[in-house]
Amino acid sequence: MIKTVGLTKSFEIKGKKESLQVLRGVDEEIKKGEVVSIIGPSGGGKSTFLRCLNLLEVPDSGSIFFEGVDITKPGVNIDEHRQKMGMVFQHFNVFPHLSVRENITLAPTLLKKKTLEEANEMADQLLERVGLLDKAAEHPNRLSGGQKQRLAIVRALAMEPDVMLFDEPTSALDPEMVGEVLDVIKGLVKDGMTCVIVTHEMGFAREVSSRILFMDGGIIAESGTPTELLEHPQNPRTQEFLSKVL
Amino acid sequence: MSEYISNISMILSKYWDVFFITGVGYTLLLALITVVFGALLGLIFCLGRMSRVKVLNWIVVAIVEVVRGTPMLLQLYVGYLLVPKVLPFTVTEFQSIAVALIINSAAYVSEVFRSGIQAVDKGQSEAARSLGLSASQTMLKIVIPQAVKNIIPALGNEFITITKDTSLASTFFVGELMTSYLKVRGATYLTMECLFIVGAIYFVLTFILSKCMNAFERRLKAND
Repeated sequence: MIKTVGLTKSFEIKGKKESLQVLRGVDEEIKKGEVVSIIGPSGGGKSTFLRCLNLLEVPDSGSIFFEGVDITKPGVNIDEHRQKMGMVFQHFNVFPHLSVRENITLAPTLLKKKTLEEANEMADQLLERVGLLDKAAEHPNRLSGGQKQRLAIVRALAMEPDVMLFDEPTSALDPEMVGEVLDVIKGLVKDGMTCVIVTHEMGFAREVSSRILFMDGGIIAESGTPTELLEHPQNPRTQEFLSKVL
Repeated sequence: MSEYISNISMILSKYWDVFFITGVGYTLLLALITVVFGALLGLIFCLGRMSRVKVLNWIVVAIVEVVRGTPMLLQLYVGYLLVPKVLPFTVTEFQSIAVALIINSAAYVSEVFRSGIQAVDKGQSEAARSLGLSASQTMLKIVIPQAVKNIIPALGNEFITITKDTSLASTFFVGELMTSYLKVRGATYLTMECLFIVGAIYFVLTFILSKCMNAFERRLKAND
């Protein structure tokens, strides 16, 4: 479903001449129905890699094939492809000037995928699924962090994406709210949604993933099933990282 | 003291139309024209400043820096002398001054717009783009509605500042409130009394404006 070939990305640092290379040639293929978790130390390129997948970050070189189309080619309408890739952010990024329901209906109605009536109906179904239906008319500032993140997830689902990208979805949450968000993601996984999840929650990654990628130094240093990677890591850097976090 | 009070009431009864009709009328008219057209031109400047076309960036930066770096009175002189020469049709002195005020205001307002837009969290536009919204849809539906709340208070202050700054236009005798002061003082030689009257009118005008702005801001906040 998503295939990357030789992705590289560097960021310029203010006041310094040389730039910081965050991705040093990432080749990866994520197949339909897979749930791929990305773990690794901070600065290892996890988030940048994820954000490259829907071109929120534009790679310096390399290609990204989404459903067979190279979306890095000039002239590709990235907006159309992004509609098929839902994204959930660390800091929720719900729209504070819209009601909870409008947060969900904005994109489907604006992009002419649904009439307002259909969108409202779907929004209420989605909100019921994540236990927020009673908040539909409120503004997001009335919601807790966990509720905001659940809203952000169903907002992305309203576009009926083929894949969901999660960028550290629980890192900004109070500990007692992590569970409710992870439960929603688990529900998606159960329904067969293809997911790519950058996370620090090792237990969660072990439970839901079909595959785990360990990223360090701008490359995928190791990849395998949860058992392979977490129980029997081959790469010394994976071993070192896991000994620190487990 | 009682002499001042009787002088003031005498001036008011004899020249009230000069102060309240001509003076206040032209001051408010000039301020309103400046704010409305200044905001429109400021929006254009802001778009130029944020445009991907580098030349437009430079032009706007140059205008803003020159306006900020020179006295307003000087800008009014330039407008007064230059505008009638540049434009192909005849303009009144009032219109020339208005043009200078509009360009001055637009320069400041464009920076207000820009900082208001840039103060909206980057995550907001990333979220919108990730849903598949285009850059312009993101701007219109997500960024600008949130930026307006940052911009309105500063724009209100600009209106109040402009109302006071129009007094500089009296240098060219264009007929606003400070010009009324010059006229009545010339006729009566009662400087202090005239200053007091004009000062009180300016104060009441800006006080009412600032109260209106506060009420408006409260209503915006209530919607949050």
